[in-house]
Amino acid sequence: MEQPQAPVFVPSPEYLAREKRFNDAIALRKPDRVPLASMASFFMTRYGGLTNAEAMYDYERMAAAWIAGAQKLNWDMAPPAFTMFPGPVWEKLGIKTFRWPGHDLPENLPYQFVEEEYMLEDEYDEFLSNPADFVIRKMMPRMSSTLQPLGILPPLHWLSSGYTLTMLGAAFAGAPPIINMLKQIIEVGEEMNKWNATQARIGMELAQLGYPIITIAFAQAPFDWIGDMFRGLRGVMIDMYRQPDKLKAAIDIFTDFAIQSAIMGAQQSGNPRVFIPLHRGSGGFLSNEQFAEFYWPGLKKLMLALIDAGLTPMPYLEGDYTPRLEFLAELPAGKILGHFDVIDLKKAKEVIGDVMCFWGNVPASMLVTGNPQQVKDYVKKLIDIFGDNGGLIVDGAVDGVPPESKPENVEAMIETVFEYGVN
Amino acid sequence: MSNNQTLVDAIVDMREDDALQMVQSTLDAGTDPLAILDDCSEAMEIIGKRFEEGDCFVPELIMAGEVLNQITKMVKPKMTTTVKTKKLGKIVFGTVEGDIHDIAKDIVAFMLDINGFEVTDLGVDVPPAKFVDTVQKTGATIVGLSGFLTLAYEPMKETVNALKAAGLDNVKIMIGGGQIDEQIREYTGADAFGKDAMTAVSLAKQWVGVN
Repeated sequence: MEQPQAPVFVPSPEYLAREKRFNDAIALRKPDRVPLASMASFFMTRYGGLTNAEAMYDYERMAAAWIAGAQKLNWDMAPPAFTMFPGPVWEKLGIKTFRWPGHDLPENLPYQFVEEEYMLEDEYDEFLSNPADFVIRKMMPRMSSTLQPLGILPPLHWLSSGYTLTMLGAAFAGAPPIINMLKQIIEVGEEMNKWNATQARIGMELAQLGYPIITIAFAQAPFDWIGDMFRGLRGVMIDMYRQPDKLKAAIDIFTDFAIQSAIMGAQQSGNPRVFIPLHRGSGGFLSNEQFAEFYWPGLKKLMLALIDAGLTPMPYLEGDYTPRLEFLAELPAGKILGHFDVIDLKKAKEVIGDVMCFWGNVPASMLVTGNPQQVKDYVKKLIDIFGDNGGLIVDGAVDGVPPESKPENVEAMIETVFEYGVN
Repeated sequence: MSNNQTLVDAIVDMREDDALQMVQSTLDAGTDPLAILDDCSEAMEIIGKRFEEGDCFVPELIMAGEVLNQITKMVKPKMTTTVKTKKLGKIVFGTVEGDIHDIAKDIVAFMLDINGFEVTDLGVDVPPAKFVDTVQKTGATIVGLSGFLTLAYEPMKETVNALKAAGLDNVKIMIGGGQIDEQIREYTGADAFGKDAMTAVSLAKQWVGVN
């Protein structure tokens, strides 16, 4: 019997030319033109006339704005829509780690992360001895009101026999708060299916229009995972003094997780580029010694493992990375795409110009409050400094282009590359 | 001059247990609690200076703040007199409307506080009117506006305008945050911007005429 065939995507010549242009820049080979790509998020939907709240609640209009915006802006790579999140899913999940427009923030603010100690200072032992159990029974109830009943479950390894699975497991499944939670989880899943179908459609339609997506897979620096998601900045920095070994053990667990999940995401999507947003590694937060001890080992191991797996790490270096350039210079040449926010341009060219492709850096302040001439001059400067060996992709410094950017400034950024960036 | 150099060193070197033990034994021996607080101030001054010179970073500030809090808790019950130290000036501080980030704001407010300023911290997501009210109530001469995201540009501008509209033209305004630069200072009409906590301290000192 014949198996039903999934529709095969045949990339157009335009699609292939864009991929080649982008990959040439990453490999530090001179492309036919300086490429353009941006991890823009709410800018895309605002550009299409939507409020931020509409973008998070009306999947169809979000998708339409995204696709139309990507075509109109004509970047070589389209931004992934996964930087957006579905308001209805967050509502059904009762998520406590975010505040967002259309829910508890005004309609034109972006969603914001709520940094708390989701794991307390004295809970490292419990987490390290049984990470999954700790996350399910302790952290999930703290992160989500819908999942709060998980806190009443017994330790999960108690359910390791047919007897206890029945007497304890089935009994807990019958507890009214758990029954209610399970019903809500089904609703969360069904809602998420709608959102994921929208995401898949955006990717497919853009590909058919000739635009590859920058990235699908995602990983975080292991230090940031503990710092942002578990302990908060204050907590993680105190842990550096009070319990450095436990902090490092937790970082190790999440280094393996970051590697495995990024490789899985890349394999499933067929997109080899891995987005790695970095938060507390920039200059100012940590000294170089602290960076070398706590931050860099996990991040470096992650990036090298991805390169070994044939993937392209895209570290998103938020903040000022000038003090860390020497660390970045340890990485293999032509394998990494580094997105820069604030940086000493000349020093960056000198130290990592032959190591990694330079992406980003058009100041957020300029895109939001400046004028097209300023942007044009700045983009020319970037091309003059970084263009000679091909290792440059033009974009804004932070958030791809910030949501509040003036469209004429973003358009000036693009036009300048088309005029001035042809090789 | 410090009363107890080993205590100052312990705090500066982030040896938390040593520092707390020393405080306990000093208190047990009946030493004047004020002497301990003097040592703490001296230690914080050294840490602040190192921060300014790029020899210590955020983890040291947070850890030192944590140690300082614990020492204050131990010392307070033993204090017989309350000392009213003369403050250098009054500052109203907060993260602007719409932005809920508090980390940078907390660090800057802490550094201003240990450098002798009376800081009224309004928290996060602070509307312009609240800044105006608080300045009027406290008589503060300096306002600090914090904002992490680009969304903070507009509310910063609105807050500066609101202060001016309320006739508070003499109040000096500083802004800071990850995406703040000279372009945004000009855009918002603030008097100055700062890249880190020590810039905030030196701006504030300059504005109240202290070096």
